Amino acid sequence: MSGRRFAARNKVAVVGYAHSAVQRHAARPLGAVTLETARAAIADAGLTPADVDGIVTSALFPTAGSHAVQDGVSSVPATWLAERLSSGARHVAGFHGIGQIPGMVGMAVNAVASGAAQTVLVYRALHNPPGKYHANSMERAAGPAQWTAPQGFFGPLAMIGLPYNEYLQRYNADRAAMASVVVEARKNGSRIPWSYWHKRPLTAAEYLAAPMISDPVCRYDCDIPVDGVAAFVLTSAEHAADLPHRPVYVSGYASGLPARRRLPLHWPLDDIMDVGTETARRLWEASGVGPAEVDLPQLYDGFSPFVYFWLEALGFCPRGEAHRFVQDGRIDSDRPDGLPVLSGGGALGNGRMHGIPQMLECYLQLAGRAGDRQRAGATVGVACHSSPHYGGAVVYTAEPS
Amino acid sequence: MSTPAAARPLPMPDETSGPYWSAAADHILALARCARCGSFALPPDQVCPHCRSTDPDYAFEPVSGRGTVRSWTVVRQSGLPGFAADLPFVLVDVELAEQTELRMIGRLLDGPGALAGSDPALRLGARVRVAFEDVHPGVGVPAFTLAVTEPSGVTEPSGGVR
Ligand SMILES: [Zn+2]
Repeated sequence: MSGRRFAARNKVAVVGYAHSAVQRHAARPLGAVTLETARAAIADAGLTPADVDGIVTSALFPTAGSHAVQDGVSSVPATWLAERLSSGARHVAGFHGIGQIPGMVGMAVNAVASGAAQTVLVYRALHNPPGKYHANSMERAAGPAQWTAPQGFFGPLAMIGLPYNEYLQRYNADRAAMASVVVEARKNGSRIPWSYWHKRPLTAAEYLAAPMISDPVCRYDCDIPVDGVAAFVLTSAEHAADLPHRPVYVSGYASGLPARRRLPLHWPLDDIMDVGTETARRLWEASGVGPAEVDLPQLYDGFSPFVYFWLEALGFCPRGEAHRFVQDGRIDSDRPDGLPVLSGGGALGNGRMHGIPQMLECYLQLAGRAGDRQRAGATVGVACHSSPHYGGAVVYTAEPS
Repeated sequence: MSTPAAARPLPMPDETSGPYWSAAADHILALARCARCGSFALPPDQVCPHCRSTDPDYAFEPVSGRGTVRSWTVVRQSGLPGFAADLPFVLVDVELAEQTELRMIGRLLDGPGALAGSDPALRLGARVRVAFEDVHPGVGVPAFTLAVTEPSGVTEPSGGVR
């Protein structure tokens, strides 16, 4: 199976959005916040709920903790929202893999391109439960967990600690280099009104003084769990031309799938990079652009090492070089010559919104709606989510050729 | 606080893992081996991860327990309260000697002291061997210890299939 041009390239566009406040714990249930955010996104697109005939999300509640999953409280499936938004939805679907944002965007694009729906609302609702996010009181480890939990390997912190340390050791890199990434994310997030970190940038000294959690991962290498919702409206390019905002077209997308069976949450560096390189190759083939054409590579940063992995997988620098590449202002979005990899603040600068900050920054910049941080001439963006070997990325463009 | 300390989670052997855990209780590392292609699978999946047979008919065979460190992390917070008394501890990602990319994760019982000094014993490629923690009567959980560097002339025990 060779990669190929995405047949729906630039035929579907993002035409509006809305974003809730990002809070440690919202005062109201997640379902209510989701419904309001959905209505706001539809209004932003110049439409009404009756115009929306597709609803797509990825509802995963991504915790290793022993929290109950309750629709409308900790998770908002597409069916839950469809029953409350309007009676007109004829295409209601959910993405179930990892890399939820590119996964659900791909499903929404395909629904519009195929005619299964004309206008689709895509959204992501994320919840921070009371108590410790990943605390799990399991006394018996059954099924896949029996191979890891009794041994002390549990949850995403050790998951990312292993490949990150593998990277640092193999390439003789210093964990202090990551300060450039985290400080950049927090600088940009501090300027976003709804961000959890609004007006709270971080210094490199603060980063380096933060306690280690799973060496070499420290507290500020991890995004903070939040309650937050974002929603977007996607419709056909033809319909988009009649709507108030400048459309941002989806050129293509790709997601990865690990080539080897591993223990649960075992993500070795070579798996990430070998499969991730293939993910990137398919992304460029599908979308018809390459790294040289990308003005706005919004890299996933839910754990900071993913920024290195994506930089290398997408070909912005050679393998093993990202820890040097990010130095000396080369990823500073305030510099005209900087590569703006986290200009939207990312998950580190907004809160645990998964790949939403990356998608939103591509939309806002390419629609000319980025306000004070608008970059002149930004035309092509890439929004990444999760790991290059398990997640994926979407290419957006302001100018379909 | 009068709350009793939480216990470490115990493995629940099932039809895919019974022989693994009964061997571990006797401090033997026995891995599932596909009857079709002879490859080890960890964990043993319904479908052999190597030859993709849907009838792998695994047999559990003792392995050397020797391996090399591919990575490690020092766990300072665990989501599992049963490990609170063990913090901080080291997890090692080990490639076992028997098969390329046959990887297993466990605690390094030498502890964070293995990272001390200017030339730490724990490094990429460090040799380890399996050890077992008796966490409950009849339950042994595999872990690792750094292998003592052996004098030259001593050969690796055979028995594994490379
Ligand atoms: Zn086989």
